[in-house]
Amino acid sequence: MQLSYFLQLLLNGTVAGLGYALIAIGWTILLGMARLVNFAHGTMYMLAAFVTWYLMRMQGFEYLPAILVSCLVLAVLCIVMQHMMARQIQTQDLTSIMIITLGISYILTGAAGLFFGGTPQNIASPLRALRLTVGDVRLTGLDLTIILVTLIIYAAVWLVLRRSRIGAAMRALAEDGKLAQLYGINPALLLGGIFAFEGASVALAAGLIAPRAPILTTMGFQEVILTFVIVVIGGIGSVPGALVAGLAIGIFISFFSALVSSAFALSAVFATLLVFLVARPSGFGKGI
Amino acid sequence: MPKSLPLSHLFLALALIGFFLVPYAWSDSRVIVGYCVLTAILAIMSYGVDMITSDLGEVSLGQALFLAAGTYGVGIGTTRLGLSPVATLALSIVVALALGAVLGFITLRVREFMFSLVTYCAAVVAHEVAYNLEFLGASEGILGIPSMELTLGPFSYVADTNLRLWPIVFLMLLLVLGLMALFRRSTLGAEALMSHLNPDLAESLGVNLRRTRLKVFLLSAPVTAVGGWLYAYQRNYVGPDVFEPYFIMLFLSAVILLGKRLLLGPLIGVALILFQERFLSLGGDGNKVFLGALLVVMLLALPRGALSLFRK
Repeated sequence: MQLSYFLQLLLNGTVAGLGYALIAIGWTILLGMARLVNFAHGTMYMLAAFVTWYLMRMQGFEYLPAILVSCLVLAVLCIVMQHMMARQIQTQDLTSIMIITLGISYILTGAAGLFFGGTPQNIASPLRALRLTVGDVRLTGLDLTIILVTLIIYAAVWLVLRRSRIGAAMRALAEDGKLAQLYGINPALLLGGIFAFEGASVALAAGLIAPRAPILTTMGFQEVILTFVIVVIGGIGSVPGALVAGLAIGIFISFFSALVSSAFALSAVFATLLVFLVARPSGFGKGI
Repeated sequence: MPKSLPLSHLFLALALIGFFLVPYAWSDSRVIVGYCVLTAILAIMSYGVDMITSDLGEVSLGQALFLAAGTYGVGIGTTRLGLSPVATLALSIVVALALGAVLGFITLRVREFMFSLVTYCAAVVAHEVAYNLEFLGASEGILGIPSMELTLGPFSYVADTNLRLWPIVFLMLLLVLGLMALFRRSTLGAEALMSHLNPDLAESLGVNLRRTRLKVFLLSAPVTAVGGWLYAYQRNYVGPDVFEPYFIMLFLSAVILLGKRLLLGPLIGVALILFQERFLSLGGDGNKVFLGALLVVMLLALPRGALSLFRK
């Protein structure tokens, strides 16, 4: 294998992996802090991509404002979901929460199909046109933005969790919700913030990653799987773990697709997950 | 003096007899006959999900794997190996058990959302494999599956229409209903319920939680596979569409709609949902919104099922 080809695969994998990590950050926090799962996460990614596309194509928004509005829409959607499931969240009825979010996922898929239609669409990001070349290795402005934004978001989340009062309150919530409430922490407000962050972060991820390929209202399932694998392998609730796991999976998929088979790349990732579940169920990283 | 049958048993018997007669009463209507056949087949699949959801308290999103074991068992068995329906049934059950054993072993140590997500992953990966593997017909699926032909000595019965398939489908439905009733009265059923409601107590009473979970998982796999086996003969086609989220949404909705652990619950649930799809359809995407909303509203407003409205 030529060095330039190897470096190109490595770079492609890095971009894809950091993209996966960006999609997964909201779920990592939701799972780590509140022990909750959201099966609509992948469908929310699809919805955010279509909201961005719709605002740009139909409403004449520029790329960045469209992403920001999409973040707002998804944050509000997640807060609505939190309020809908308030009773189940309070009683930690995880089975019902799983099925409800699965139902919401199906509603969103159907509603997106009705509203946006079944035709594949493209998000016209101006960053795609920007081409950078280092030797024989190429990347676009969008790739570079994904790398930078993901690293900034992860650093910011890590700092907030470790160095701020909000972070301390979140860790207290994760440790013992009832005791945290006695100490004056408002769990509902904090949960609202976590849900809003999940929605906004997945919308940001969609705004940056979705322009790399045509978008369809049926997409989202692959994103859920990859997010899950990242969260498990990274260690449930571990922010650095999710970043490393996302990166590792992106690079693995890049090399596996190029050298073995692109059709079975996801299966190979799943096989890796199975090995982890049997050998190391707690993942690599430590929880929050 | 013989004991009189409880009223609920009488209702059950009458309801099933009535259901059995519907296709014959409307034998001219292909829509109604097809509706009854599909309702029974999808209900059989739902009972596999019912066992895990209602009794074990877990949400298996990998049930499509067992459905596929049934459909592909027929597809491969008939078109490549020339097997009879009985042999394809055996093949489907063996494959479902093998897949169930592997998935059950992997999920032995995980519960709740981890269990659901691992089973979901398994279904997604199986879809990817079915979609790309030529041996399984890839994205085109397997066409040309012959109608079910049962032969016994000089006698032969060809189920080449929905009406002719109906007695076989109904018989399988009765067998599955019998199995469900036996399971819920058995020690395994009690252990499954205990391990769901109070695992600590169950363990202290000597219940091996992992073994119980594995057994229930292994019992549910062939039930769903039998539904898949019938589905393949009914459609004369097998494809990767069996992995679509529609099926798991339908199964979960059917199990939850009237209330969990009701013998006829999944059957009536499937019948109601398919009735909306067949006779009050809102179109493909509209039906998705309806089915998703049904699931969400039921769990938020009536978590004990629609029948709880009529119970004190």
